[in-house]
Parts: sequence; structure tokens; C-alpha cells
Amino acid sequence: MRPLTEEETKVFFQKLAQYIGRNIVHLINRPDDTYCFRLHNNRVYYVSEKIMKKATCIGRDQLLSLGVCFGKFTKTGKFRLHITSLDYLAQYAKYKIWVKPNGEMPFMYGNHVLKAHLGRITEDTPEHQGAIIYSMNDVPLGFGVTARSTSDCRKLDPTGIVVFHQADIGEYLRGEETLL
Amino acid sequence: MEVQSVLESEKSKFKSTEVEKAIPLEYDLGNLAAFDTNPIDPKSLKKGKENLLKQLTRDNTQLIMNAIFNLPTKSGEDGVFATLPEPVTIIPREKPIPKEKILTRWEKFAKAKGIQKKKRTRFEYDEKTGEYKARYGYDHTKSSDDIPEDWLIEVPRGADPMEDQYEKRANEKKERIESNKKRQKRNQEEAEAVRKNINPREARKQELLNKSIIAKTSTASLGRFDKKLKNEPKIKNQGIKKHHESATGDMNAEKQKTLEILEKTIGKKK
Repeated sequence: MRPLTEEETKVFFQKLAQYIGRNIVHLINRPDDTYCFRLHNNRVYYVSEKIMKKATCIGRDQLLSLGVCFGKFTKTGKFRLHITSLDYLAQYAKYKIWVKPNGEMPFMYGNHVLKAHLGRITEDTPEHQGAIIYSMNDVPLGFGVTARSTSDCRKLDPTGIVVFHQADIGEYLRGEETLL
Repeated sequence: MEVQSVLESEKSKFKSTEVEKAIPLEYDLGNLAAFDTNPIDPKSLKKGKENLLKQLTRDNTQLIMNAIFNLPTKSGEDGVFATLPEPVTIIPREKPIPKEKILTRWEKFAKAKGIQKKKRTRFEYDEKTGEYKARYGYDHTKSSDDIPEDWLIEVPRGADPMEDQYEKRANEKKERIESNKKRQKRNQEEAEAVRKNINPREARKQELLNKSIIAKTSTASLGRFDKKLKNEPKIKNQGIKKHHESATGDMNAEKQKTLEILEKTIGKKK
């Protein structure tokens, strides 16, 4: 477990900023407690100082996880967000997409969001922008990347893809053993 | 009179070779080019662009041909040739100027001594057949011999009589090839150094030093327990050590640093 290097922090923030923009500041500057990002086994954890200090007692091989896993660095040095970061992403999301009840199931099985299932969408969402997906009663379901901008969505036919799937809460069941 | 009229009528079929221009053309016959600086009449341009261009081209080509025919000529077996003057217009090169070839050690020596390469003819007279035959390669002078030239080699005076002279000769050739290869490699290395503007001696020294460093640190203990030479320069372990911040350092400083990085990365995007 160690703090992120400058290069890693840059890559990580660039990815995170696609979903929550400048709201990353709220993750770092918290009124309740000091929180920090820590790297362990190539995964980035968001953890309070208190817990992090306690975790230093545990050996590197024995320490499995601490705080909330935000994602991991791939072997090529890119960063991948994991579904476990959804709580924080949903809290500070810039662009939101609501899915109709009949679209919840297909999305949570790992499919892209289709136009037919699109309930609502944030105004002026650009193309290829990270967005959080909610059910109609505001339960975050996952996140993805928009395939079309808001204006293009209107002209799209019902089977066209609106959001590319990246992660969904169905992964808690499907990828139970790999999630940390 | 008959002939005259026939010639006249024949001539009238073609345009005259005489072309009149208000401003004479600028010729650059070395490049087989001429530049027409006469202004174009806008009226005739409007009337017919194609016709005007055709006419201009014809007239100017005629003028170039006239100029070429006025040049001094040389007649040879293949015909009559006009000798073109030096080109005036400078045309930019497509490719960079070729670099000067860096001489090998032998070439340098030969130049200093004034030794010139003698070109041997490809064919030589074969006395046995009375024909010219290739000096080497396919169907060369010696290939037709059933008995090789060196079917017997005299043992030199003072040499070991039991020594195989054929083997000795073969070994000598092998060594010559080997040493020539070494020289070739050295020449290449020196040329490379010269191209990089380094003294070849220095380059060789540096390379040897680098190699010795690699060799010394190639043991399991990175050369810590090896025997040292006298006055051997101390070599630091050249590996790059990654340094990471402590996990439980100054939290406030870490926070400030993270915010700074955030400003840098997000600020750049907008």
C-alpha cells in the first residue's frame, strides 16, 4: 500500500473527471474526515486516514482490500473504474441518464442502453462522455459512455445504442470473486 | 520559277518560324526553358481561352526551337547535337546533398601514399585454348583443368616435413578472412563515431568501459565480492531505484499535492 505517484494520480483523475468533472475536489476535501487514495496490488482505494493507518499493520500479502476500491491500473498504465466506485460517482455525477423500468434488467445483464429504454437524460450531454445510469426512482445502476449526444438521441431509432455499457451493479453477482 | 512556286505553296501550308513578340523571351536553354513576360490581352482571353493558350504555346515553343537551332552544334556518329549552355534557373534539390563517404583506414593510407586502385580486366587470355576467358567465375581459365594448379606444394626449407601444407594454406586463408572482418568492423565503428562527431579513440574507450561495467555487475552479488584490480574505478550500482512516498506521511501535504495535480490535469483539459 502506497500513495499514488504524480503520473498515476494524473491518469486516475483524468478518468475520474470524465464522470464527475471538478467534483473530485469534494472527494479530497471532505469536511467529516481526511480521506486519501492509496494504491495496493495495482488497485486504487479511497479510504479514510484512520482506516488506512490501521491497515498499515497488515502485511502486503495479507492485505486484501481497504476502504472503497475505485478501480485498477492495467498493465499498460491505463486506469479502469470498477463498479465499486459507483456510490461516489453517483453522488457527484455530472451527466445522468435514467432508464425505464423495462430497460433496467437488460442493462444489469451487461448490455448497452438502447434508445427504447431511455427515460430521461441530462440536457447537453456530449458524445463519448462518461455518464451514470439510474433507474427511474433514482437508484444508481451503473455507468458507461454516451454513444450519442442528447440532440442526436432524439433522432435515433428505438434500437439504436445510447450509452455503451461499462459497469453495472449486476457485477456484484456476476463477478463476485473478482470484485474487491 | 516552277520550283520556286512549289516551295512557296508548300511553305504557306505551315506557319512561319518567325514569331514576333513585344518583349523578347527570357531563355534558360540549359533547362530547355523560356519565360514569356508579355502581358496577355484580356479581350482575346475572353474570346477563347483554349485558342489563346494553344497559340501562345505554339509561338513560344517555336521560339525555343529557334533558339536551340542557333546554338553551336556538334556532329557525331549518332547525329547532330546542340551543346546547351549552363542552366540559369536554380532548381531546388529533391533529396538532401549526399554525405561525404568516410574513408576506411586503408583508403586513408592509400590516399596519403598515392596508391591507386588498378582495375583488372574481367577477361584474360587463356594460352591453352587460345581464347579469352573469364578470370574468375563461370567458365574461367582454371576451371577447365583436370589437374589443379596446386596438385603439389613444395615443403619450404626448414619447415616440418610432416606438416600438411594444404591445411596450413587453408588455415592461413581463414585467419586472413577473420582479421579482415575485424578490420571491417573497426572501420564501421570509427566511421560511426566520426559521423557523431566523436573522436573514434574516445568512442572505443567509452564502449569498453560500458562493457566492463556490464561484465562486472553481472554476478549474483552485482560484483561485490569480485577481486578488484589496482586503481580500479568504483562503479556505482546503476539500477534505477523507485522511490515512493510513505503511506503514512504528512496527510495535509499529501492533500495539497493531490489538489495541485488535480488543478493541473483538469485545467489542461479545458
